[in-house]
Amino acid sequence: MVAYTFQWHVVPESAGALAHGLKLTLQLSAISFALSLVLGLVVALCRLAPSRPLRALAYTYTQIFRALSLYVYVLFIYFGISAVFGINLGTFAAGVVALTLLNSAYMAEIYRAAIQSVDHGQREAALALGLGHTRTFSSVTFPQAGRVAVPGLVNQLVDIVKDSSIVAVIGLLDLMGTTIQLVSTERAPFELYTATAVAYIVLILAISAAAALLERRLARHLRGGGSGPSPLEWMQRYRFGGRVPT
Amino acid sequence: MSEAAANQAAELDLGEEIVVAEGIHKSFNRGHKEREIHVLRGVDLQVAKGEVLVVIGPSGSGKSTLLRCLNFIAPPDAGSVTFLGHCLTGEVPRRRPAERMRYERALRFYRTHIGMVFQHFNLFPHMTAADNVALGPTRALGLTRREAKERSLEELERVGMGEKAGQYPSQLSGGQKQRVAIARALAMRPQLMLFDEATSALDPELIGGILEEMKRLAESGMTMIVVTHEMGFAREVGDRVLFMDEGVVVEEGGAREVIESPQHERTQAFLSAILS
Repeated sequence: MVAYTFQWHVVPESAGALAHGLKLTLQLSAISFALSLVLGLVVALCRLAPSRPLRALAYTYTQIFRALSLYVYVLFIYFGISAVFGINLGTFAAGVVALTLLNSAYMAEIYRAAIQSVDHGQREAALALGLGHTRTFSSVTFPQAGRVAVPGLVNQLVDIVKDSSIVAVIGLLDLMGTTIQLVSTERAPFELYTATAVAYIVLILAISAAAALLERRLARHLRGGGSGPSPLEWMQRYRFGGRVPT
Repeated sequence: MSEAAANQAAELDLGEEIVVAEGIHKSFNRGHKEREIHVLRGVDLQVAKGEVLVVIGPSGSGKSTLLRCLNFIAPPDAGSVTFLGHCLTGEVPRRRPAERMRYERALRFYRTHIGMVFQHFNLFPHMTAADNVALGPTRALGLTRREAKERSLEELERVGMGEKAGQYPSQLSGGQKQRVAIARALAMRPQLMLFDEATSALDPELIGGILEEMKRLAESGMTMIVVTHEMGFAREVGDRVLFMDEGVVVEEGGAREVIESPQHERTQAFLSAILS
């Protein structure tokens, strides 16, 4: 501590580069999140399908892609696959694929649990009205399951934003990659890592706040006019990804 | 019979059977040796137009399952259901797409023309009362939003829930929920109404209102099959009573006769237990 000279001026000087890295982090996260949302739902529907092979396939998917860490996927996809098949994905695409595979497997489980949580009588009532299976799902089951799934899906988004920093290992200049590069040239690790950490925290708190608003909106019909969860309650609910032990 | 012809037959008051079920069998957990439960063991029933059939029996006797077999929410394993000239079995033709389509269309015909009211209401919690009632007409009958809305308000008005049209189910009492559920079923303009213990989940003081609603419906000429433990209602409103136990029909006859002087031993035991 004593021998260190703070050089906070490095941070505003690097703002441009950091902002560019942040933009890349946002793009990577947003695209991976959107793809995972869709792919996860498809896998969840296969998990619940009447067809046995389809169920087995979806089960295998969720088990395999949840089994390894993102770190392994990124390296495997970027270096491993390209070495064998000669497919050069590029760092951004490799990051998207890795994040999507891992998170869609988690999301499939979130969706599945949410769909199964909807009371069986809801489906019965819709079928009794003459709605087909597709319309029963789209008008009755999914809207209710979706509300249940929102907190879990938001946690997944938080994970994606944080985990996306791992793509720095294949040289993608996202927020983390940019910071690592700047640290090696500017020699101000404390200042730069602090700035980056603050950026991540602000980003994730903003996501949590937006999610809480969304959740309150979706739960309107259950409150009967009362107020939603207090700020403390939703802070607890979105403990920065839901993985911090209480 | 084509759908149009069936509709026509339904409109003409032919005074004949609206629904006939023959040899209905149903098991749950089929194929799992130990957990398999044979709920229905060959049940026959027929209901004529305008008739009110009351189904009574101890819990677990298969009454609710029988209702679910009639509209194929729980398709029977064996036996057939004839409804307004259509005849369906629980066997889905999986191989041939054309037959499959015909089967699905028939299924839709059954369900859109048979209204069902559940013990636990089963209202859609994410929709207002008005939207609950309008869902079937828009998504199953193909009415426009405006037509469905109009019909929805009309039906809610009829059950005394006009003022609650914009409320969500969580804001309604049990009795109010069941009224909305009745309106939801009636908005489909059904030819047959199934009531599955419609008052069993209600607070005692709310039961009378729902029974009154059902009585009014019966008086308007609606064909109804009512599963209930309300013997007063069964005797007063029911035309015929069917007593079920362990998946079979034990006794069947005029409502008054069966309830006041049951012939079968099991019916006597059940009625004396429930009426004491």
